[in-house]
Amino acid sequence: MHLPLSARFPMEGTVSGHHKSPHRGSSVEFAEYRNYVPGDDIRRLDWRVFGRTDRFYLKEFEAETNLRCYFVLDCSGSMGFSKAGQSKLEYAKKIIATLAYLTIHEGDAIGLICVGEKALIEIPPRRNPAHLKLILDTLLNAKPHGETGLVPVMHDLAEKIRRRAVVIVLSDFFCEPAPLMSCFQHLRFQKHDLALFHLLDRAEVMFQFDRPMRFVDMENNFSLVTEPAGIRDEYLRQLNLFLEQMRAGAHEFGVEYRRVITDENYEKALGSFLVERAQA
Amino acid sequence: MTFLHPILFWALPLIFLPIIIHFLNRLRHRPQPWAAMRFLISATRNSASHTRLRQFLILFFRVICVLMLIAFMARPLAGGWLGWALSPAPDAILILLDRSASMEMQSGGITRREQAIKLLTEAASQFEQSSHLVLIDSATRQPQDLAHSADLARLSVTQPTDTTADIPAMLHTAFNWLIENRAGAAEIWIASDSQRSNWLPEDPRWKNLVAQLTSLTQRVRVRYLALSLEPEANGSVALKELIRRQGAGKSELQFLLDIQRNRNSAAPIPIAMNLDGTKSQMEAATEGQSLRWRQRADLGTHPAGGWGAFQLPADSNLRDNTAYFVYGPDIPMRAASVCADPESARCLQFACSDRSAHPAEAVPAAEFASAKLDDLSLIVWQEALPTGPGAERLRTFAEEGGVIVFFPPAHLDAQRFNAVSWGELQDAEADKAFRILRWDEDQGPLARSDERFSLPLSQVTFVRRQQITGPKTVLAAFEDGSAFLARQIVGRGEIYFCASLPNGDWSTLSDGTVLVPMMQRSLQTGARRLQQVTIADCGELSAADRTRQWESVDAPGKDIRFQAGVYRSGERFMAVNRPAAEDEPETLEMSDTQKLFGSLPFQPFQERAAAGPLQGEVWRMFLFAMLLFLIGEGILILPSRKPPTPIGGRTAS
Repeated sequence: MHLPLSARFPMEGTVSGHHKSPHRGSSVEFAEYRNYVPGDDIRRLDWRVFGRTDRFYLKEFEAETNLRCYFVLDCSGSMGFSKAGQSKLEYAKKIIATLAYLTIHEGDAIGLICVGEKALIEIPPRRNPAHLKLILDTLLNAKPHGETGLVPVMHDLAEKIRRRAVVIVLSDFFCEPAPLMSCFQHLRFQKHDLALFHLLDRAEVMFQFDRPMRFVDMENNFSLVTEPAGIRDEYLRQLNLFLEQMRAGAHEFGVEYRRVITDENYEKALGSFLVERAQA
Repeated sequence: MTFLHPILFWALPLIFLPIIIHFLNRLRHRPQPWAAMRFLISATRNSASHTRLRQFLILFFRVICVLMLIAFMARPLAGGWLGWALSPAPDAILILLDRSASMEMQSGGITRREQAIKLLTEAASQFEQSSHLVLIDSATRQPQDLAHSADLARLSVTQPTDTTADIPAMLHTAFNWLIENRAGAAEIWIASDSQRSNWLPEDPRWKNLVAQLTSLTQRVRVRYLALSLEPEANGSVALKELIRRQGAGKSELQFLLDIQRNRNSAAPIPIAMNLDGTKSQMEAATEGQSLRWRQRADLGTHPAGGWGAFQLPADSNLRDNTAYFVYGPDIPMRAASVCADPESARCLQFACSDRSAHPAEAVPAAEFASAKLDDLSLIVWQEALPTGPGAERLRTFAEEGGVIVFFPPAHLDAQRFNAVSWGELQDAEADKAFRILRWDEDQGPLARSDERFSLPLSQVTFVRRQQITGPKTVLAAFEDGSAFLARQIVGRGEIYFCASLPNGDWSTLSDGTVLVPMMQRSLQTGARRLQQVTIADCGELSAADRTRQWESVDAPGKDIRFQAGVYRSGERFMAVNRPAAEDEPETLEMSDTQKLFGSLPFQPFQERAAAGPLQGEVWRMFLFAMLLFLIGEGILILPSRKPPTPIGGRTAS
């Protein structure tokens, strides 16, 4: 038995599915009674209620539809960081591959956007199983490179997606928080179900070095020689401040925010993600 | 500031070691690809000044630590500016200057006293505008105000003397001055060569002195300049005994001299003798450092008195090279005996016969109080111990220089004389006798003869004795430790107690082989009571002698109060020598000196370099400073309290 990817909000799909729709439909799930108004289909009148009350009522049922899920993968240079073990990009690929597999087997559509300095690859959502191979092949070939253009790509995405969809972003979000917040707000304004996987390496959150180092920026090769012990406190203070801004921004705009350290088991992170969604 | 091992300052470039290591460490950085650069740049920008300051402080502390270590190992000596001038100026500075004969020891062409004056002048010059300077010298012990520190070198009360120093007495004078003048905060500066005989560490006055100085309301600090210059080769001569002996138609002087030198040498010691202006040269052979030397000088038929001196060649201390003496005309020596036992009385009277073989005069005990004692030098007492006027006459007799020998009364006697009394009578077991195997053969009436022959005291058998109880110095004791001959020194004279009698029922002393030399020596010793000429220690004249006008005989212009020599006052001659204590080489360790002052603030300075400034070792200060800087550096490099680190798995929605 597998746990499907559930949407937290009603979705607008093109075909029938397992997810709530904002519209009323013909499923077995009773929704409500409502008064008859001229123009309604008289075949939907509940005659038993008419017999008991001498009034016309229509019995309505929930509509269920499929969802469209967009995976946004940050492929900037910083995602290639790894002090020991797998990089953030590798970790993100595993999460996307797993979720894609689960989602497409539920009959839902999945799409993928790889983001570098701009949208490098855009695969529109499809629901046929053959589409999964394309997604997996694309993930396999994704390499970290350059600076991140996550903010403009997400704004573009918010404008492009016409129907409500699930948008899952996997990134380290190492950019200015304010523009990011506007992205979140934009996507939520379009009533998309936005989920963020904030990927961090253990070395980034601990920052434990015992000797002077020359740090080289993985996105633009800028280098900085410094004594880590001397700036550790300030570094961690800045990082914590940023993480707190991310958490608060996500909470403000109703975005699901999940911080993941890449030395943790991704199955565990994914499991809690799916369970919480299923229970929502 | 100077250093005992300044050569170590060649290691001074080592202070750059921490800086070099720091930069080498920075050059050894490894490249690290990094993703979260924006936080790194921001943190570097925000903490740059703080980090730079901290790194500078760490480097500074490390450099200072190395510097302190080098300075500490170089044994720093704090000079005037650090050791003295940094202290706040006290209201009064009392300078206690040791002018004793041992302070004239030279090193590098300058005596300890001159060095002390030089250093004290330098140190006091910084305070002469702000503090009241008072000099107390060891010879006069009279406080004297100093208008300028430079006066120290010019004053007569800082010139050399042949006296000894009594440091506790000088401190007492300083205490009295503080009380009388109601001085505020005061410092007592003591300059001395730490000679033990000057400091008298066992003297009970120390306890009271320290208690008095501590109880003063004003703050009193003691600074001690110990002049411990390494002495050069030095010898000293002191006259221990001078006896004029009358032989058949001629007389001779017998000298006993103590000769010391501070270094072992097999070379004989040349000694020049001046006897009434006639000079002669002789040598004393010894391989050790001290020698008790006997010498005779034939006076022929010369009946009158005279004077002379023994002199060693010039060395590092010129004040201890001469021993002066005077001798008087030949005088008859007579004794009196007060005896209860007839047999003992007869023996003792003959043993105390004068040069004309006249036995000693017998005086009944009842008539002793009115007996004429003017021409006596020895009294033999074999009766119950005297009381009342008789006892007082005896005591006066001894104080004037006479000798009294007490023999047992042969019965229990509850009386005491000078706290000594006769104890129980003891008889030896049958066919056994009390024996004496060891006694003091260097001094006293049982000493070896001039030819170094011992008296046959071990062959004398004792079958009866009477115990001597009370305070005394035992010169001879029986095998079981009980005293046979004990001595007390009273004034200029001596009192002896002998535990047995020259009686066949008591001992074989009546054979005379021991008794005669013993009594004749006592007679000789007591003769000084009748001599007008005396030999005194410099600075220790009696009150009567101090009132006389004295004229120096051996050299013009000397002052009998401070300088050794031969002096004349009317018909009376006096030889003044430096006190024997000045020849004692024992010095007091600085730690022992500090203990004497108890809780009083005490700052020692040891002057070692002959021409250096007034200095004390201050290596502790550098050690503490180094430790403080190390602690500071340790605190700076201590990892800060671990801040809360972000962790994964947090969700917000």
